[in-house]
Amino acid sequence: MHGVKRKQYSREILKQKHLQDQLKIKTYKELVDKTLDTRDNKIFTSESLGLTSKVLELNPEFNTVWNYRRDIILHLRDTAPTEFWENELQFTMEKLRRFPKVYWIWNHRIWVLNNFPHATTKIWMVELAIVDKLLSMDARNYHGWHYRRLIIKKLETLTDKSMNTEELAYVTTIINKNISNYSAWHQRVQLITNLFEEHELKKEEMKKMVLEEILYITNAIYTDADDQSVWFYTKWFLENEIVRLILTGDEYIKMLEDMNNNIVLINNDDLEFSGTENSWCLKILIVIEDALKSTGHAVEEEHTKEYLKKLIELDPQRTKRYLHLLSK
Amino acid sequence: MLSPERRTSMAERRPSFANFSGNSNHIDTLMVPHLAGIEDPLPETTPEKVDVLIAGTGLVESVLAAALAWQGSTVLHVDCNDYYGDSAATLTVDQIKNWVNRVNNNDIISYNNAKLYLSKSIGPSCKYASRDFGIDLSPKILFAKSDLLSILVKSRVHQYLEFQSLSTFHTYENDSFEKLTNTKQDIFTDQNLSLMTKRNLMKFLKFVLNWEEMPEIWQPYADKSITQFLFDKFKLDKPQVFELVFSIGLCCSIDTKVPLALHRIRRYLISYDVYGPFPVLYSKYGGAGEVSQGFCRSAAVAGATYKLNEKLYSYNPTTQVATFTDGSKVTVTEKIIMSPTQAPEGNQHIPDQKYEANRMVCLVEKDCKEWFSEDESAAVVVFPPGSLKSGNKHVVQTLILGAGSECCPQGTSIWYLSTTESGVRAEMDLDAALEALEISIVRESSNDITENNDIVKISEDGRPIVNSVRLGQSFKEYIPRESVQHLMKLSYTQYTSTPPFDVVNPALFDNDELNNRANSVNKFIPNASDNGIIYTAMPSSEISYDEVVTAAKVLYEKIVGSDDDFFDVDFEDEDNDTVPQGASVNGAISYENAIDDDDDDDVDMGIRGDDSNEFVGQMEI
Repeated sequence: MHGVKRKQYSREILKQKHLQDQLKIKTYKELVDKTLDTRDNKIFTSESLGLTSKVLELNPEFNTVWNYRRDIILHLRDTAPTEFWENELQFTMEKLRRFPKVYWIWNHRIWVLNNFPHATTKIWMVELAIVDKLLSMDARNYHGWHYRRLIIKKLETLTDKSMNTEELAYVTTIINKNISNYSAWHQRVQLITNLFEEHELKKEEMKKMVLEEILYITNAIYTDADDQSVWFYTKWFLENEIVRLILTGDEYIKMLEDMNNNIVLINNDDLEFSGTENSWCLKILIVIEDALKSTGHAVEEEHTKEYLKKLIELDPQRTKRYLHLLSK
Repeated sequence: MLSPERRTSMAERRPSFANFSGNSNHIDTLMVPHLAGIEDPLPETTPEKVDVLIAGTGLVESVLAAALAWQGSTVLHVDCNDYYGDSAATLTVDQIKNWVNRVNNNDIISYNNAKLYLSKSIGPSCKYASRDFGIDLSPKILFAKSDLLSILVKSRVHQYLEFQSLSTFHTYENDSFEKLTNTKQDIFTDQNLSLMTKRNLMKFLKFVLNWEEMPEIWQPYADKSITQFLFDKFKLDKPQVFELVFSIGLCCSIDTKVPLALHRIRRYLISYDVYGPFPVLYSKYGGAGEVSQGFCRSAAVAGATYKLNEKLYSYNPTTQVATFTDGSKVTVTEKIIMSPTQAPEGNQHIPDQKYEANRMVCLVEKDCKEWFSEDESAAVVVFPPGSLKSGNKHVVQTLILGAGSECCPQGTSIWYLSTTESGVRAEMDLDAALEALEISIVRESSNDITENNDIVKISEDGRPIVNSVRLGQSFKEYIPRESVQHLMKLSYTQYTSTPPFDVVNPALFDNDELNNRANSVNKFIPNASDNGIIYTAMPSSEISYDEVVTAAKVLYEKIVGSDDDFFDVDFEDEDNDTVPQGASVNGAISYENAIDDDDDDDVDMGIRGDDSNEFVGQMEI
């Protein structure tokens, strides 16, 4: 932690610490042995549940013990009081607060939700709110995004309604807060694809969305031409079948040409300001040129080879790849 | 005698008893230590001998007193006033009245030209009482990433204070108040900026965060003005340039040099998002006055002696005896540090105070909540050069505090205006700024024009018809139904030896600078009452606390020899050490979490919105 002085331990105190650590290790080992013993003996009682709690308190990444815990719960479920499941959720929440990036805790929590007796849409809505809060505190935690997708999927199944449009709005809010969020852009890809494949929007609405997306991307690359999340998304968008299908041939070509002009502008601006060109700009310009060629549109001047040569200089670690592309 | 009327003190606002709860060894409710002259009586006598005598309880002096006291020096800290804070004090209206009289009698060095208008609404058995208001002589805002904030935490003085966030900075342009675009989020979502402008702004923001490591970009402009640099190198337009330089950088003139301006702009940006979406905080119940008082209390805990109403009469550097006007004496073995406001009669060594700042304070009968963000009660408004109808050459900076700051009652607000302009021009600029503020707040809080049904009617076929006769009449008749009521208007000039926006010059205190400076400390002037005394610099027009810690450190080093242990305090706490206080050999296990809790090291700054919303954010300094 910043600003906190490191405690200088004297030899004597270090020895004492060492002793205490030994003690802790011994106690932990005993606890684990006892727990695994009871598991091997197939003891599924509330005492053994308590044992697992103790172990998981010390080490939430011990998946074997999570598994054992689930077995116990399944055994006890019929005699369990109503608050049991709520308490179990509470238990995982407590762990998540301290360890928001441990797979096994997320796993257990969703297992609890899936097995929650008399579950209604409500607990899943509550869960969504919890994920909202988590993502508002750490918008780039991919565990959170993955978990969010699971919840949305569950909700969509339960309500038999798609949530793609609302999710898209949510993702836009998150991206607006910080365009440097790979998970959010990734989610955007999923949502647009879903919207298209499930024919959720009318043709004109879909087209409107695509046209707005072009502006959105342009805004993003001007705001931060160094951000790779933005460029990855741009690449996906430009190469994607969906866009090609929704726009007319002319509109598609115009989009590519406009993009081309903007990116050339940005690249030249980078060159003027800092003396070097922008490798992402060059990469995407190549993508655009390919796309234009594939539409059969006549390209007056081909710059791809020139771009590749510059990329070899700017990005020497990928020389072999650029050479490979040059040879094609 | 102590001033009979003063505001409630920070100790009086907190419960003064300790709650011992169950097993814990912690005192649950913090006790704010008492301070002589406020909760405790003043001492009858002063110590006979001390290491350091400090006169004046302003910011620099109080920080210094605490630093020295904790370091182990014996400190006698006095103030000739009957209140704490000196040039940083937070005063009631009556105290301001007295202060103004003293200034105009030339009783307070470094201040001049004080004018006061007081409405009949403030006074005994009037709508407002004098002590409902806490007026700062030096209004200040605290940057989230600043040396003073670090010291507040290190010394734990922050525990005596309450801070609130301030996220609203307005730039006044073309008769309107623009809010800042200073984050990537703002830039990305702003519909009014062109794409290229967005790019240029972002380029600059990225650069300025690391500017010192990129000399190739700014070195060629090192001697030029920041505005030229931003126009040339980053191709920014005037609105963005002015916003960056004057509202974010809080610079005072177009000619501010590049490195200084970059430093100031960066200061704002790195302070943003430290505790939340805001760059600065301000202290409730009184700004600099509370902060300096907090340090005095800390110094008192560390053993410093405090006495008010004590003024130095003379000092004899040979015998090292300082004499006070009441006849008492003290031997000072190390140094005497003094604010020019406390100087004895017959002083000869006060440094040249050639820089001027002009200030105006208005108590206004409007809550101004239209200017504040939700949950906040303060805002900064900056008037860049040329934005006022007076054609101001210098910036006018204003700080607005609402009732939520606990410095004024509900329905009122305090407007602080200041400029580095001098003389008559300063008055004109301040008046013009005041007027602009008034027009704006009336317009924003007025409901007049919206509900005038007579002017626009809908005809039978659904088209709107404007009744032009009525419209014209209404324009002519439009007098804002409310005008702004001034409860008090105070203006004054203050002088300082610190150039605007320059950190205090160490040469100011240099004993060796004999040749250059006529007022060198070392030079013995016969009949001077202040030979051998080191004077601190008066506060400058700087709105942040930036100069304070540097000045205190410079003095500290002069006295102690080095500033290594400046506030290097080790509080004896009931810490939850990860090391056992004594792990007993016979096996009694004090079982602890294998995962250590860092909770003790997290400090709660006590930042609350008006509704005491839970604050989310960790401190990292």
